[in-house]
Amino acid sequence: MFTAAPHIPVDSCSFAVNHPADDLVATVDTLAPTSDHELMLAVRGGELDALGELFERHHGPLFGFLVKLTGHRAAAEDIAQVVFERMLKYRHTYRDEGSFTAWMYHLARRCASDHFRKTNAAPHATDPVDLQHHADERPDAGETASTGDDHALLHTALARLDRDDREVLLLSRFQELSFAEIAGILECSVGAAKVRAHRALHSLRMVYLKLQKEPLT
Amino acid sequence: MTCARIREHLPSLLDDRLATAAAREIRAHLAGCPDCEREFTTLSQTLIALDAMPAPTPSPRLRARVYAAIAAEQHALRNPVTSAEPAAPVARKPATRSGRSLWFWLVQPLAAAALLVLGFTLGNRSIPATAPVTLPSATPTTTPAAADAATQRELADLRKKVDSMSQLVGYSLLQQQSRSSNERLRGVLTSAAVEKPDDKTINDLIGALALDPSANVRLNALEALYPHADQEVVRAGVLTSLPREQSPLVQISMIDFLVASRDREATPALQKLSANPQADLNVREAAKRALTQL
Ligand SMILES: [Zn+2]
Repeated sequence: MFTAAPHIPVDSCSFAVNHPADDLVATVDTLAPTSDHELMLAVRGGELDALGELFERHHGPLFGFLVKLTGHRAAAEDIAQVVFERMLKYRHTYRDEGSFTAWMYHLARRCASDHFRKTNAAPHATDPVDLQHHADERPDAGETASTGDDHALLHTALARLDRDDREVLLLSRFQELSFAEIAGILECSVGAAKVRAHRALHSLRMVYLKLQKEPLT
Repeated sequence: MTCARIREHLPSLLDDRLATAAAREIRAHLAGCPDCEREFTTLSQTLIALDAMPAPTPSPRLRARVYAAIAAEQHALRNPVTSAEPAAPVARKPATRSGRSLWFWLVQPLAAAALLVLGFTLGNRSIPATAPVTLPSATPTTTPAAADAATQRELADLRKKVDSMSQLVGYSLLQQQSRSSNERLRGVLTSAAVEKPDDKTINDLIGALALDPSANVRLNALEALYPHADQEVVRAGVLTSLPREQSPLVQISMIDFLVASRDREATPALQKLSANPQADLNVREAAKRALTQL
């Protein structure tokens, strides 16, 4: 499913997300940095400690993805835990030619589906308390109220999308994933993944604009 | 293309991965169609806002649970309870530093800190026990008041050391939970570069030597401690770390350190190591040699 995909350089893209492994590159030259793929192959081979390093590199973006997907921090934390547990449990299914990030989000999507099936509910509309919490967590304390409102609006807009739309949209924002990989995660064709990402962005824009005109009460 | 078709394709202008052959045509259309241009602007603003959404961080529970799951799986891997996995050569592999159970690294920092504190307690006790012996015929003159004052001083001293040891526990938890070995190594190298390190820096280095899972980090920490071998706390830290050290390379370096600092207190530990059949042959020989040099 995750065959090597042609990678288009993303350096010039103005929306590039920070790559968590980037800050590991500038290190003392006695230690060769190990790629995610090598680490996961080590885990597959029984060196389970290597999963700790993968956790350190990836749990932040994964958690962020899950919070935005589910709209719930607690649920996101539970699902993230299950994702890493499944990496351990299904480590033998990791492929030689695999991409770790794609595999991780593939597992995350499955785990999130299981979670939604179990709780038998779409993500709840945004809880204002939760939102406030998010705004407070901004590292820059001098944030203007309007920026906070913007985040709140977008959060609500995301929550109003269909889960499929939200999923493809959030995945498409990870610049390190190619659309071939996104298609693999979503188990659809590359063409379908692109069309879905387009459509989801249009939907988000519509809801977001509508909310901007009639703000939260 | 009609305006409707153009709008369908707008997202491809916002993502290099979606580059389309029609980009030139779409751009030309935007230049002459304010409605489509407005739609493009709002799409772009939506994406910018989406990417700027704050990234929440999980509670420390997540890390604890995931590491516990890893440790449990390692335990299961080493101790196959059933015959479900008859071919389990992994379990027979001798426990190396890198192959150690994560439980070791989760539980060990606390145990090690306790050991260090114990080491200081014993060290402090041994000083008043041996000191009077070397003093020539002065023993009967010690008054109860003087002894009391000495005890007070000792207690105060000890408390100071124990305080700094509790920082050590903080060090180890912080280091092992949240930083990669490269980052930890960088921390050690930074500490080593400090010309007049304070107690905390010294403690961090001892902490790295005693507790860091990476042999490379431990070696560098030991190296950084050399200029401070005159401090009792440094020698005691090396001495306490020695019996727990698994890497022969680090063990031998520690022995060299103790010889260089002429630490007589090291004799029992070195005797034990030289007689330990489990220890690496080179390590045993280094220990024997060190005993003749002390
Ligand atoms: Zn138009």
